[in-house]
Amino acid sequence: MPTSSSLPARARGAAVPFAVGVDLDGAGAHPGAARASGLADVDLVSGARLARTVRHAENAGFTFATFADALLATEPGARSSARLDAVTRAAFVARTTTALGLVPVVDTTYPEPFHVSSQLASLDHATRGRAGWLATVTPGSATPAAYGRAPAADLAREARDVVRVVRDLWDSWEDDAVVRDVATGRYLDRDRVHAVDFAGESFSVAGPSIVPRPPQGRPLVLAALDAVADGTADGPGGPLVDVVVVPGSDVRSARAAGAAARAAGAPRVVVEVEVVLDVAGHGGAARLAALDAARPWDAAGRLRHVGDAAGLVALLRDLATGDDALDGVRLLPALLDDDLPVLARDVLPALRAERLAAAPRPGATLRDHLGLARPASRFDARLTA
Amino acid sequence: MSTTLHGDHPITRPDAHVHLGVFFQGVNHTTVWSAPDAGSQIDVSSFEHVARTAERGLFDAFFLGEGLRLREHRGRLHDLDVAGRPDAITQLAALAAVTTRIGLVATQNTTYNDPVDLARRLASLDVLSGGRAAWNVVTTDNAWTGANFRRGGWLDHADRYERAEEVVATARQVWDAWPEDGTDDRVARVARHGRLVDVEADPTVPRSPQGHPVIFQAGDSPQGRDFAARSADVIFSRHGSDLGDALAFAADVRRRTVAAGRPEDDVKIFPGTSVVVGDSPQDAREKARWVRWNQVTPQTAISFVEQVWGEDLSQYDPDGPLPAHDPVVEVIGVERGAARDGSRAREIAARWRTLAERDGLSIRELVVAVNGERGFEGTASQVADDLVRFVRTGGADGFNVSPWIVPGGLDDIVDRVVPELQERGAYPTEYAGTTLREHLGLRAPLTRRAAVPVEALA
Repeated sequence: MPTSSSLPARARGAAVPFAVGVDLDGAGAHPGAARASGLADVDLVSGARLARTVRHAENAGFTFATFADALLATEPGARSSARLDAVTRAAFVARTTTALGLVPVVDTTYPEPFHVSSQLASLDHATRGRAGWLATVTPGSATPAAYGRAPAADLAREARDVVRVVRDLWDSWEDDAVVRDVATGRYLDRDRVHAVDFAGESFSVAGPSIVPRPPQGRPLVLAALDAVADGTADGPGGPLVDVVVVPGSDVRSARAAGAAARAAGAPRVVVEVEVVLDVAGHGGAARLAALDAARPWDAAGRLRHVGDAAGLVALLRDLATGDDALDGVRLLPALLDDDLPVLARDVLPALRAERLAAAPRPGATLRDHLGLARPASRFDARLTA
Repeated sequence: MSTTLHGDHPITRPDAHVHLGVFFQGVNHTTVWSAPDAGSQIDVSSFEHVARTAERGLFDAFFLGEGLRLREHRGRLHDLDVAGRPDAITQLAALAAVTTRIGLVATQNTTYNDPVDLARRLASLDVLSGGRAAWNVVTTDNAWTGANFRRGGWLDHADRYERAEEVVATARQVWDAWPEDGTDDRVARVARHGRLVDVEADPTVPRSPQGHPVIFQAGDSPQGRDFAARSADVIFSRHGSDLGDALAFAADVRRRTVAAGRPEDDVKIFPGTSVVVGDSPQDAREKARWVRWNQVTPQTAISFVEQVWGEDLSQYDPDGPLPAHDPVVEVIGVERGAARDGSRAREIAARWRTLAERDGLSIRELVVAVNGERGFEGTASQVADDLVRFVRTGGADGFNVSPWIVPGGLDDIVDRVVPELQERGAYPTEYAGTTLREHLGLRAPLTRRAAVPVEALA
């Protein structure tokens, strides 16, 4: 049992618990998960399965859930490619969760920024402040063909423009724009709702938003390092990206990448960890080999833990402590039905026992869970007064 | 003034049920936000309350509207009406988890949405809800709205229905791409290379129990009616306040439906309406008058007249007469919403002045008179009788009710009118089916008819 002086900084009353996120897409993060699960397509995407999986994740005490997504089938023609829109999935569990952050993946390259802003603001209202956005870019020519457009020229700059205008739209209603003033007959104070008049490199948006200011002010924005140009640059309203997802195939490089991102202005840094656990007599390595035999899980520059729960706890402790500690992880369980129960029973409780991680408080916002302040609207005249 | 059912219209459908939907309206002046019982227009609990009440009342569907740009009045943001609404599909997905039977209808525009992306989101709602999703197709296309979107005002006004048809056809391709259960067929690729939609995609959403989301159409022009006759399952109409007018509309829609090669009753008709229930006829009349007066505040009345006259009239007394001079604008702009845009200002002004002079109306009284939503008012028994007569003479299949107060505005209908309808054998006592298609009594989706023989509906 560690003595108090050897406890990690986080355990010595440091401000914020280590955030433990988990991706809950489909059958799991492994490319062969859908096939290996044996689930029929309709069962893979059903509301019942989604609600149950998310409920288990919330009960296990994860900080947030992400919902991986892409518009097009990963394996064209195959039923195993069944997948529903991520924002719709996140919204479906809005009213059946109370603490878990809900973070859909939404592309920046092709969707309408105005709709993205409305959808995420609405998710934040429906969850009373637990929405996040894992902003991605989409290379290649298949997706633009599905939108009837030409491929985007510069993905990172387009992402910057999209995140910027989405954030401006969230800010376009000040918090107290709805005044309900019977004496003057005014529902709104029009001086508290602002046009955005955004002009980016490939599009412009007038605004204001059609959705009132979200409960968090701005839903949490997560993005991979370098996905969003100038993502952590200082500017009016602060950095565009709240949580940078840094690469790293081992702890040392992950910590170094995290430190570098922080130095460049990232408010929070997390790393992704692919997880294939020992499950009831089946070793992680054997499970991975069987899954890979159907469709290989190529190394993507991410950490990967293949083995027992204790080993994962040690890995996470390593990432969570010390001078270059990260602020959290996004776990990618290979096969949810097998890996999630082990995470719930043997990994999260151990982290909580050591006071590295903590179950998020019901009723708190996702920003609260990450220890991030609620931003004022950049249009709030009182800021510049 | 309540819905008129004058005239000797015979009962042609003696066993028809009255169908009900609730339209939780977005931006509008029909919601009385100033009453002490008026709750939040954005907090999810208001939406939950209305949806659950409607489901308790065995309503077919819960509608959300869509407004893609905040309304303006004379160049500035319009501040008198409710504004600020959630994205429809996102909100309905949240409600899908806390309801079990009621349909979930998202109004979605065809000009400023991408067909494959939109079809995927609608299908996702349909799958998660167990087959209860619907799409209320609207075609707003003006450049002012377009300023919020990547392409700006790209679509010629004359092309909006052609674009809508192509978008709906593409969506159906997406929904049909997934193979039937129990087959080894592969997922089909979607390709549509039309003039106004040019896309290719490998879609990802399996079929829901109802096959396709139900398609509503809400456009009254001849083009809109033809679009409905060709492509929609239900028309969300404006013909619910006068039975004679409703019967004429229904006959026109049926004619167009048959001309499009479909059975005469293939398209259901749901007018929008409001309902005010009182303990006595007098009580109902007073309540309705209270609602109309509170929907049109003094400031709202001035604002309406300013919209027509095209100038600042803030110095006018809402309890005084209309301006004596003519309007300064010819055509009313789009920024106040679809209901009045493009109308001839001088004609309207002349009509209003005539009416005001004839009946001795002040500005506010005039606006209440011309703008008050006609709906059903009376005791629960009277309202039930009127609804039944409207439906059984063939004037409509059901009504989409807009509550005038949120969240409690449906309570009277569910608690008092529905039992009266049930007593008359004109309303179900439980949900017989699980999908919206079943609640509405629709046949299979249009592109699936080759597989399923078209039978006469019971």
